[in-house]
Amino acid sequence: MRGARGYLWTIVFVGLVTAVGLPLRGHLADADVVMLYMVAICTAAARFGRGPAVLASAASVLAFNFFFVPPYHTFRSTDEHFLLTFAMMFAAGLLTSALLHRVRQGQREELRSALLSTVSHDLRTPLAAITGAGTTLKEGWEALTPPQRSEMLDTICQEAERLERLVSNLLDMTRLEAGALSVKREWVPLEEMVGSALARLESRLAGRTITTDLPESLPLVSVDAVLFEQLFVNLLDNAAKHTPRDTPIEVRARSSADGVEIEVADRGPGLPAGGETRLFDKFFRGPHTSVEGAGLGLAICRGIAHTHGGTVTAENRPGGGSLFRVQLPLSGPPPSVPITREAEAEAGVS
Amino acid sequence: VSEKGALVLVVEDEPQMRRFLRASLTSHGFDLVEAETSREAMALATSHMPEVVLLDLGLPDEDGVQVTRRLREWSRVPIIVISARGRESDKVEVLDAGADDYLTKPFGVNELLARIRVALRHSRQIAGAPTPVIELGALRIDLTRREVTRAGERIHLTPIEYKLLTTLVRNAGRVVTHQQLLKDAWGPTYATQTQYLHVYMGHLRAKLEAQPARPRLLLTEPGVGYRLAAE
Repeated sequence: MRGARGYLWTIVFVGLVTAVGLPLRGHLADADVVMLYMVAICTAAARFGRGPAVLASAASVLAFNFFFVPPYHTFRSTDEHFLLTFAMMFAAGLLTSALLHRVRQGQREELRSALLSTVSHDLRTPLAAITGAGTTLKEGWEALTPPQRSEMLDTICQEAERLERLVSNLLDMTRLEAGALSVKREWVPLEEMVGSALARLESRLAGRTITTDLPESLPLVSVDAVLFEQLFVNLLDNAAKHTPRDTPIEVRARSSADGVEIEVADRGPGLPAGGETRLFDKFFRGPHTSVEGAGLGLAICRGIAHTHGGTVTAENRPGGGSLFRVQLPLSGPPPSVPITREAEAEAGVS
Repeated sequence: VSEKGALVLVVEDEPQMRRFLRASLTSHGFDLVEAETSREAMALATSHMPEVVLLDLGLPDEDGVQVTRRLREWSRVPIIVISARGRESDKVEVLDAGADDYLTKPFGVNELLARIRVALRHSRQIAGAPTPVIELGALRIDLTRREVTRAGERIHLTPIEYKLLTTLVRNAGRVVTHQQLLKDAWGPTYATQTQYLHVYMGHLRAKLEAQPARPRLLLTEPGVGYRLAAE
């Protein structure tokens, strides 16, 4: 689709140049007309890449030959030096597109290396702890007291878990960005996804007061249940990470005319100043660097919300704390589940 | 259930992984036979008749899903898949092919032992007399009298809710895929109507769970199925 549009615009550019040049025929030098076509060729090359660049060159050569090289309105060019002009037009098109391609690749390369350095740092930190604890145990087994040994073992297990979380976050992020994530929508109750997210975070949320307010009247939502559970896990995990252990977390949902709104709210320190949107950027970390994480959790939330046509936003709460809001547009009326409880009950019950 | 001396067939091509499994399983009283390929696995399954199979999916000669299908042609031995493939579609595929449970790598030894225990209990139950009464906390499910009570109080279930519950009870501790539950409760023509299942599981939770939004009994495995908490 996008490719076809590039070629179409290319033809439009060349047509425009011809339309501009034609009334001036005879007043302009050949070189000036060629320069006009060069503009069209370079624009096409810069905007749409090599294929359209070649098309622009070819169309320009034909148009120039037909309209501007005597005898007019024929493709018979007798003058040999126009061959050189034609060749230059092709060369300019190819060169521009090749240069631009290289620039873009350079930018990608830069992004990739920034990503790699962040990632490798975050991967190395838990690995360093594991290696350290492992070698300590191996080399100094006799010298260590039993409590020291079990401390080393705890380190290994905890850091391995951290590594695992990081790796799966990275995988999710990569898949989201590559668009490789196939969204398997099904009609699911929100309550179920919130419930399984809470269950998955059970040990991290241990001791917290968690209130859920999910009215029974909420409609089924059409989402990928796996991705949406992940979204809730990341939001809850984020709240757990950035707020004191003894503060509550609330999960609320309500339906409106245009969709469903889910909120995860805490009573922690609130959002970092000016971070309301940057929060969702990849590798953004809060002001407390002691908090573990690579800054991917919220970026993944945003990615998941977007793939569902929804949004996720953050704001400070009146009375302190932060509030994350997921807005999900309705995607058609939820299917009815034909056998209602009542009808089934009448059919005879155990 | 005593698992002492139960024979476990480990099918895994990664030596480090086999080393970990060997150490942890033998120290917990299990006996072990090990296979690195699907061919060895089939041979050992026939010659040793293991009580549980731990199966890695990425074998050098054949995919674990294929191994599961071939084992299921003649054996009901519990198969617990241990795999680094974490995608839900992978889980569903091998579970529907006949595997009993699925553990995504990495996993801790406690998790593994719990799953093995569930698998053993389940297969020995099938061999022996079925348990007619199941108690889960305050909840009591009497399969012979078709009666569910919580703290002595009778809970009224619709036929489909009851059907779903009994399917989960029969598989207590193991994940049951959406498709299996739909087939059991509604019949094969409904195998893709997952919204029915989600809605009815919601009803069931509302009746059985103290806090339906924080279930303790009827656990969700997103994109795969449901699991009744075993212990």
